[in-house]
Amino acid sequence: MASQILPLELIDRCIGSRIWVIMKSDREFTGTLLGFDDFVNMVLEDVTEYETTPQGKKKTKLAQTLLNGNNICMLIPGSAGPEET
Amino acid sequence: MDSPTPPPPPPTNDQSPPPPPPATTSGSPTDFLKGVVGKRVIVRLISGVDYRGVLSCLDGYMNIALEQTEEHVNGAVTNRYGDAFIRGNNVLYISAAEVL
Amino acid sequence: MDPSSSIQEPFDLIRLSLSERVFVKLRGDRELTGVLHAYDGHMNLILSDVEETIMIVDVAEGAPEGQGTVNVAKRKMEMLFVRGDGVILVSPPSRT
Repeated sequence: MASQILPLELIDRCIGSRIWVIMKSDREFTGTLLGFDDFVNMVLEDVTEYETTPQGKKKTKLAQTLLNGNNICMLIPGSAGPEET
Repeated sequence: MDSPTPPPPPPTNDQSPPPPPPATTSGSPTDFLKGVVGKRVIVRLISGVDYRGVLSCLDGYMNIALEQTEEHVNGAVTNRYGDAFIRGNNVLYISAAEVL
Repeated sequence: MDPSSSIQEPFDLIRLSLSERVFVKLRGDRELTGVLHAYDGHMNLILSDVEETIMIVDVAEGAPEGQGTVNVAKRKMEMLFVRGDGVILVSPPSRT
């Protein structure tokens, strides 16, 4: 019986690569994944934050950032994010 | 008694442990937090409000103590606090605002 | 002694503010100032001599977003328990 891969093992393999993080709210991040913990709090580098405000889409550049795992909804490994396509 | 150890650090009078090695600026959330204490940070809350200040300390709940805090709403400074305690459940992210 | 040197964890900031007048920001655009008598790990608070400030934004019909008039309501309470989950920020009186 092949051992099943755990979801967080997949994320562990992404350390060092770009990752796209989609929050529960209308907010997204891209950055290089440096690390994470069991709560899926994530440390990202060269981060771009995307938010949709009443004034339209807003982009914010951030340096090294600890993102609270509490509000994360989805992770897309290896993706450059909403601007890729 | 001729061991190849490096020379001992300069003698000190206190009993405090030696300072930890410089924290790496990469790796786990714990490593990040060790490296960022004492530095200027941006704390963004889920509501979108930003607090910019010097990170005094924090705990496992992401409760945060900030010094020289400025509250920013939509890019404008709306408040200044000498010290501020921020309850961790409101925190969206902590971002370094200076080089680590 | 520099007070900041005695802060090892965030709750120390609150501990050092006991019996002092503090500013508290709560969810729902509420703000309080009052004298801090007690707190716990949930950030439940007991405050006395409290003034509450409530921001009420009235967005006029057809006005663009964020262009409403802000009404500020204030009221006073003698003694107050604050449930910790509503707390966003606590700021002690300025040390300067």
